[in-house]
Amino acid sequence: MSPLLASVLKVAACLGLMLANGVVMIWMLRKVLGHLHLRYGPLEAGPSGVFQTTMDVLKLLTKEDVTPNAADRALYFLAPLAVFVPSLAAYAALPFAPELRAVRLDTGLLYTFAALSLVPLGILMAGWASANKWSLIGGMRAAAQQIAYEVPLLLSVLPVVMLVGSADLGRIVEAQSGVWAGFVPRWFIFDPLLLPTFVVFAVAALIETNQTPFDMSEAESELVAGFATEYSAMKFGLLFLSEFSNQFVVSALAVTLFFGGWLLPWVPESVSVALAPVTFVLKTYVGIFVLMWIRGTFPRVRIDSLLAFGWKRLIPVSLALVVIMGVVIKALPAVARVVG
Amino acid sequence: MWGAGLLNGLRISMRNMLRGPITVKYPHEKVELPERARWAVEPTYFDDGTPRCTGCLTCVRVCPDHILSVDVETREDKSKRIVRFDYEIGACMMCGLCVEACPFDAIVMGHDYELAVTDPAGLRRTLLADVEAASASKHREAKAAAQAAPERGGTDAQDGEEGKRADG
Repeated sequence: MSPLLASVLKVAACLGLMLANGVVMIWMLRKVLGHLHLRYGPLEAGPSGVFQTTMDVLKLLTKEDVTPNAADRALYFLAPLAVFVPSLAAYAALPFAPELRAVRLDTGLLYTFAALSLVPLGILMAGWASANKWSLIGGMRAAAQQIAYEVPLLLSVLPVVMLVGSADLGRIVEAQSGVWAGFVPRWFIFDPLLLPTFVVFAVAALIETNQTPFDMSEAESELVAGFATEYSAMKFGLLFLSEFSNQFVVSALAVTLFFGGWLLPWVPESVSVALAPVTFVLKTYVGIFVLMWIRGTFPRVRIDSLLAFGWKRLIPVSLALVVIMGVVIKALPAVARVVG
Repeated sequence: MWGAGLLNGLRISMRNMLRGPITVKYPHEKVELPERARWAVEPTYFDDGTPRCTGCLTCVRVCPDHILSVDVETREDKSKRIVRFDYEIGACMMCGLCVEACPFDAIVMGHDYELAVTDPAGLRRTLLADVEAASASKHREAKAAAQAAPERGGTDAQDGEEGKRADG
């Protein structure tokens, strides 16, 4: 197969996964939020409303695409793409199985974060180009918040990279195979040094993906729909889809970094490898469920306290965790060598 | 401990999720209304199918919204005929004062709560049209028959009697 065709097929596969995820996750979100609030969620379209999202997508596709008169037309058109493309690109390095990923990158972790960090740019573009006060405030908030939390997010994964000695997502997963003390899986979440790291990662990731307690850039009670206020039809669909896709990517990263990726504990390696993609996607969906659980529980925080928390608490804490990890894996063995 | 409240919040929402929905799937499922639920006003009838209304206009006078109108013709022999008994349900606040005021239990607050209409004409209902009004003597006969009924058995009638005495 020619390399070009292979690449096109890989992109198409990622796109298909992204779209399928979007459809499943929107249905799941409405069901989970509904049940958390003692409601049913969608019921009418298909059994348990499973075709609800499909209908919504069809509706979005057939709606009129409105452009405001005062909008900056070029930016207004480009913004959904600038949000959507990085979200799609973030799928490239995710390891679904030992050999199942779009590209094998030595810096897969860094690449994924780099792709995700382009999303706020698109949101800012959308906010600016809409020529709407709410959109602009939403865009600025997205920039302030997501750039603020980019730092602790990256710092929080550094201890993992230091421990494994590689930023290749596949290597990170392989480092988590086996068990401690006979029964505890060697997943990094069970490592007492990495548990606080995971907490920092989880908070920063929630904020990075614009999830509801931290969805300051949409904040429908204050900003109508924030940066998406003026968007309609499939442009809005792309913005919306990329948000859900980012949740999937962040959840997949959490699974890869802390929950053993495609690995299953207590089973022979052949079984674990055979079931790898299923395990990975199931674990990711459990992560997404937890995100939705958090989303259905907490009220939205204020933007100033959110930023203060990020700069004044989360960054120092994650820096301290990096230092502690460094001391434990480099300084202590050195001291032990000198003493011993 | 910092964060304990957050965890408690998560616990509560998960408990709610496990408890299951309490929503009634309305068009598919319907709640059973309490006996005293007050919805649209409906006329009541004797066992022989004639209306209990005597055309006394008490309900019309007592209605705070002035939405009931009864058009009555009185003949030479003092017997009455109800030409129309109109009820403007679109303006009704379902207070039930007309039902409380009616001396002959000729109207009740019904349990018909699906009152939305697509045509504004549906907001006016004609409860009775062109019927003989019940006479006081007919009410006396019915009452006597109802009092005789419990001896033949039938707890419903008895309950009804007790209800009426309590009201009176």
